[in-house]
Amino acid sequence: MTPPSPAVRVLLLALLAILVSALSLWYRLPEHASSFVLWQLRAPRVALGLLAGSQLALVGAAYQTLFRNPLAESSTLGTTAGAALGALLALSLGLEGVGSFAATSVFSFVGAVAASSLVLRVAASSRARLEEVLLAGIAVTLAASALAQAAQALTDPNRLFSASMWGLGQLPQVGFERVTYGLLPLLGATIVLLRHRRALSVMLLGEAWARSLGVPTSRVRLEVLLASCLSVSVVVALCGPIAFVGLIVPHVARPLVRGDATGLLTASALLGATFLTLSDLCARSILPDRELPVGVLTAALGAPLLLWIIVRRPRGPS
Amino acid sequence: MTAVAKLERATLGTRVMELDLVVDAGACVVFVGPNGAGKSTALQLLSGLVPPSAGQATLGGHAATKLSESERAGLVAWLPQRPNVEGLLTGAEVVALARFRHAERPAESLRLAAHFLEAVQAKHLASTRLDAMSGGEVQRVLLAALRAQAAPLLLVDEPANHLDPLAQVQTYRALGELWQKEQATLCLVTHDLRLCRLLGPPDRILVVGFAGGRIVWRFPLDGAELTQALADLYGVPFAPFSTPGGLGIAVDALEGGTS
Repeated sequence: MTPPSPAVRVLLLALLAILVSALSLWYRLPEHASSFVLWQLRAPRVALGLLAGSQLALVGAAYQTLFRNPLAESSTLGTTAGAALGALLALSLGLEGVGSFAATSVFSFVGAVAASSLVLRVAASSRARLEEVLLAGIAVTLAASALAQAAQALTDPNRLFSASMWGLGQLPQVGFERVTYGLLPLLGATIVLLRHRRALSVMLLGEAWARSLGVPTSRVRLEVLLASCLSVSVVVALCGPIAFVGLIVPHVARPLVRGDATGLLTASALLGATFLTLSDLCARSILPDRELPVGVLTAALGAPLLLWIIVRRPRGPS
Repeated sequence: MTAVAKLERATLGTRVMELDLVVDAGACVVFVGPNGAGKSTALQLLSGLVPPSAGQATLGGHAATKLSESERAGLVAWLPQRPNVEGLLTGAEVVALARFRHAERPAESLRLAAHFLEAVQAKHLASTRLDAMSGGEVQRVLLAALRAQAAPLLLVDEPANHLDPLAQVQTYRALGELWQKEQATLCLVTHDLRLCRLLGPPDRILVVGFAGGRIVWRFPLDGAELTQALADLYGVPFAPFSTPGGLGIAVDALEGGTS
């Protein structure tokens, strides 16, 4: 039997996302539930799961390609932590009411760009040493967490509870308002990332060779990082920091597609949507009468995978 | 003849290079000289990828620094030496990606990749992953990628390094074919002039000697003066072109003999 063509695989992955969404919508829906539960509680939650999951996985795939490092993703390179710090500052300052989502997103984006540019500075100064980029990501994450705790300590206790619930990373909400706010910037980021799919593929041949083949590598890197920061910061502003989706999903997607970046980006986006929606379904039904924040579940899955990849990584000069 | 590339005096960092070099279309220029003499630096300047702080390289009549990435990639191609390529890519994917500047559909690139692999007798490597190939097989894929980019000036830095003797011969034959049949212009850095015989007619191969960041002489590969010039450049005797193993190190003539 010949393996299915790339287009068929993408279709199958899309079908899987639709199936999981339907499952998540109707799973254990009480018989007499009102349409409010279905269309104002569950549907927006599923939509946000699909949106956030696809973005986090897409950014993870882009980072892993750009940094040529299977451990790179927004939460290991400090982007998520920077975005979370920015968003938390906005929440602590009480920027609520009109434009609260916009304000949170802007703060979050500034935090993400600041954290990423710090990490990128290390990446640019030590080209060959991929581990150093990750260490810089960890350092930035730790610094951002410390600042976030300081911000929390100084926050009005009434706001503290909602801020700390947000900090766990979760999808529940009422209505589609937030989903629609996030849609436009996320669509923009996705277009930028997918537009560079071919350049990202060529960069898998190594930076120097890619340049000689005609890839404007500095511009591609800058645009991919800015789009990734935008995507991550909007997702963080919407649902809080959800870690490891961008690490787990590309690893599952990679064996399903060809070696270049096009397949990986597309498959990761589709699988990410499925993964976060499914994780959220588990998180809300795993305990009999309480919900677990989905961020806790993805972290519980992702941290062991991170360790496993580190242990399994081939040694020697890379 | 039209010049495809020109190098003049250039400063790179603190290093001043005295390079008065015009590469004509269809020429084959071989850079020789001890390590650190500036051969690879000259090649980098020609590639337009490393901008000099003073002076400039001219490619196809334009200042290299003024060219856009895709314009430059349309004028100069570079055969990387042991590139750090993602091992999951297959031979055909690598060659297809080398078509980047042509801005064609990926499926078209892949179709052409098969043709370029066939041209270097590497059709069987199309769906083999790079991390499963030998050094010689990787080299063939790189040579196919060089063809795929389809630029008139080819820059090649010690292409036979790290290869076994058969792969060395195959590499030089493939480069010779690009020069002879595809009318490419070739700039090559090497220490081993014996292999350059495989490129094509020796009287059309220009050997350029580098020392201390300067071009100190130029002779054709079969030129009578070349043997002595090489001996002076490297400090060891060389076998004359007309003898067996000509322009390799004359091991028998070394001081103290061979045993």
